[in-house]
Amino acid sequence: MSDLITLTIDGTAVSVPKGTLVVDAAKKIGNDIPVFCYHPKLEPVGMCRMCLVEIGLPVRDRATGELVLNADGTPQVNFGRTLQTGCTIVVSEGMVVRTNTQPVDEARESVIEFLLSSHPLDCPICDKGGECPLQNLTMAHGAGTTQMDYSLKLKMDKHVPLGELIYLDRERCIQCARCIRFQEEIVDDPVIRFHNRGRSLEIVTLSDPGFDSYWSGNTTDICPVGALTTSDFRFGARPWELIPVASISVHSPAGANLTFSTRREAKSGGRSVIKRVLPRQNENVNEIWIHDRDRFVHQFADAPDRLQKPLIRKNGQLVEAGWEEAIELVAHKLNGLGEKAAGLSGDRLSNEDLFLFQKFLRQGVKTPHLDLGNRTIMGGDVTAKVGISSGSNLGELGQGDAIVVVASDLHEEEPIWWLRVKQAAQRGATLVILSARPTRLDKFASHTIYYRPGEAVATTRQLLNAAKIAVETAEPDPIKTAADALINAQNLVAFYGAEGLTLAETDTIARLLGNLLLVKGEQPHAGRKNNGLIAVWPHNNTQGAWDMGIHPAFGPGYKALDIPGKDAAAIYAGVQSGEISALYVAGTDPIGDGLLADRGKLDFLVVQELFLTETAKLADVVLPAQSWAERDGTFTSGERRVQRYYPAIPPVGESREDWRILAQIGEKLGLGKTPFAASLVFKEVATAVPAYKGMDYRSLARVEEQWPIIGRSDLYYGGTAYDNKHGLGQQWAAAAEAAAVESFDTADTPTNQPDGIRLIRAAALFTPGTLINHAEVLAERLAKPTLWVNEADASHLQVADGYVVNVAVNGRAVPAIVQMNGKLLKGTAVLRGVPYFPGVVQLEVIGNR
Amino acid sequence: MTFTEKYAAEIEGIIARFPHKKSAVLPLMHLAQHYYGYMSDDAMREVAAILDLDPTHILSLAGFYTLYYEEPVGKYVLEICNDLACALRGADQFVEMACNKLEVGVDETTADGLFTIKTVMCLAACDRAPMLQCNLKFEEHLDEAKFDALLARLREQAAAETIETSVVEKITAYAKSGNQVSVIGNR
Repeated sequence: MSDLITLTIDGTAVSVPKGTLVVDAAKKIGNDIPVFCYHPKLEPVGMCRMCLVEIGLPVRDRATGELVLNADGTPQVNFGRTLQTGCTIVVSEGMVVRTNTQPVDEARESVIEFLLSSHPLDCPICDKGGECPLQNLTMAHGAGTTQMDYSLKLKMDKHVPLGELIYLDRERCIQCARCIRFQEEIVDDPVIRFHNRGRSLEIVTLSDPGFDSYWSGNTTDICPVGALTTSDFRFGARPWELIPVASISVHSPAGANLTFSTRREAKSGGRSVIKRVLPRQNENVNEIWIHDRDRFVHQFADAPDRLQKPLIRKNGQLVEAGWEEAIELVAHKLNGLGEKAAGLSGDRLSNEDLFLFQKFLRQGVKTPHLDLGNRTIMGGDVTAKVGISSGSNLGELGQGDAIVVVASDLHEEEPIWWLRVKQAAQRGATLVILSARPTRLDKFASHTIYYRPGEAVATTRQLLNAAKIAVETAEPDPIKTAADALINAQNLVAFYGAEGLTLAETDTIARLLGNLLLVKGEQPHAGRKNNGLIAVWPHNNTQGAWDMGIHPAFGPGYKALDIPGKDAAAIYAGVQSGEISALYVAGTDPIGDGLLADRGKLDFLVVQELFLTETAKLADVVLPAQSWAERDGTFTSGERRVQRYYPAIPPVGESREDWRILAQIGEKLGLGKTPFAASLVFKEVATAVPAYKGMDYRSLARVEEQWPIIGRSDLYYGGTAYDNKHGLGQQWAAAAEAAAVESFDTADTPTNQPDGIRLIRAAALFTPGTLINHAEVLAERLAKPTLWVNEADASHLQVADGYVVNVAVNGRAVPAIVQMNGKLLKGTAVLRGVPYFPGVVQLEVIGNR
Repeated sequence: MTFTEKYAAEIEGIIARFPHKKSAVLPLMHLAQHYYGYMSDDAMREVAAILDLDPTHILSLAGFYTLYYEEPVGKYVLEICNDLACALRGADQFVEMACNKLEVGVDETTADGLFTIKTVMCLAACDRAPMLQCNLKFEEHLDEAKFDALLARLREQAAAETIETSVVEKITAYAKSGNQVSVIGNR
């Protein structure tokens, strides 16, 4: 145990790992040394001087190196003449720290007095009042009076928008630079900085739009005063009125843990509403950070155009109806239809919803035809075998480990993973990127390999082949070097996305990367902790959809079906040909997504939704569902972590849980009684899906102590992110963890690669969609359709910056603004801010302005 | 013509002096300020683009250093030191005299757009006070007569459109001197 250092803090001995700072060591034994500028996730700077303590070191004889002892045999300790900052001093053996002496008390009092010299006394209207580190520490350590002259207080601007999401109150800022350091150190977006000096210091931004970062909201959590506030919560409620409710991201595949702050209020008609969204600590998932989509998208839950009651088409019009009538009608119409019926679901629904969706169709309606309405990426069967192992934590990857990212722009698709991968690379992990274009992650990569759009499979195959060959190649080949770095790494994690890929190509890439994890024969990477494959799924519960058997060829738990049903494409064709006469759509919008032109020859269309989507507008029956904020359930993240979310607000109108609607119709079709609660549906899931065996709502709610300690009485330490009291979730084990897995077949997937300029679609975090369009605060951040071309291609196409062009995608014209992008390879064009389309198409510009 | 185009060679020379591109930021800001008259937002964005920095970085530096002006200034910026040592040698009276003569206050620009008066902290010429810095050039041992002579000279130059400045010479000399700054130790 030579890595442990023992020191004494206020008479209590404590042993902590080498390199620990004095403040953290004190924290471990419940001694809260006050801090403002220090934050356990940031590099210490010692700017605010709040953490001054007395630090003494044992005296050693210079000649012998022996400890000098007092008469009573205790070691002699030499305290310096001045106080020292506990946040910058690393512990050492025998160190003695005093935090409760008169000099320390006086120092704390003086620092508080100094910090308050221009701080306004507007706590009664300040958003932070009630959960404010400055307020709390002033009460604990302040003098209560001041020697400062009130007339010398500086009056400064109190409503400075740093962009439309975050506001700055200059008077309240105590210049700790936590926000600036977070933006620079943690998320590499140095878009806010100090301006001027001394008392005139202020935080400024010159980015366009202002404070241009996907992580801006986190600065308001770690701000130790009310200087930075979010525009959605500003002056919205007082912290002590808020009831925290644990939840999970409804967008992102990493499964960020959230907390809703809810309040029942008169201005919302006596309803409980979500006032703000804050991170909930899960050091294995999102630590204490969330990106701005997760923070601001919640507004859709209480949008005025949410569906309130069931709608039934009568005389060509959708009219409101009762549940009983709607359920009877749907059950009656679907009863006995068998293979004439089909079902399509979204991958935002909970595991409970999805499990009952497939049960309803397969056992109730007795049709094998069901799929995700808009599947964009394959490989769930591969991740079930060689996916990242249970117990893994991307935060543990570093020196000696390797990560490969194929065909994914993590910064746009899942910023949480981008952050985790970036930090692993900064800790020394080898990062290999295979991409059709440069992305934000390239900066941190050790090997970057660009391929022409359409050549992702071929390039990945080259990487795999190079990894298999031990012999040195004559010429240094970048792919060989990268492959060697990957295969020789202690731990190997592989991410793959779907950028510019067809469904078949994503499947092959998943298998190729699966084989890469199996290359080392007897001791493969796959199956070991901190190793494995991660699919960058498009939604929060795409993983759950695989697990629950929302797939034409797999039942729950990846049980291969003897006779596979039709996939989504075949169902859409069947709708047009008349082969499918009834369609049940839950939580997806095929017509709005452009996958289905119209009702085709359908006799009966049921849509279960939050909003009257394009598909719902054409339906015979529309069933109002509850959003995830109104009920409980589970989502499974891309790291296969099953996580619980909890009901935060009352249901909108007469809406019901998706699983309940399906169970109630199923009851009419002979599927037995409707379960009382989601937890009972989950019990059924845990029986049907072997990997979920042993999980229940109680085991998913288990927590353990995490570091850093946050969210207790000492908000000043980690910010206002919430302590996790409602579950860290459970990762289910991939097959390779228990037994050897055979390598995967990787048939070639010939694709039509167009001549000329090849166009791929790139994801954007704020791509418009059903939910995000309802978040008013994000309106200005929504990605606009943009066409990136390099200069040579632009002159060939006769377009220039700012031109508006119509781009032909799958026969549809999409208007987009041209933006020159010098970093793109010649012959590669990228369309951003538009709904998903698969694969690579030839860029065809139809007219321009 | 943008400053990037006008001073392409100088910019390249300055950047070449440093192991990290970012280190060239201060001289480039001087050059941009000289060309545009002050550090406008667009000038800051231009410097940021050259050095692959976020524009906010440039704004922050412009705010920290008093030699960068974020508001338009006159063709000649008269920066009079009135720090303690200079004040003891009559700097405050000198500032008052200068302001009265030009009929402007501190931080203001004359109507003809020629002169801006600023007061600054120590310029390290206490023994030659009262003194001022005009476009980075020191004028020392000043009194009213010498100040009048200085104004007359500057007005003459302005009329002849040969604005005296040492900024470009200093910066270009710096760019051409070619002394490499080496990295000491590792970050």
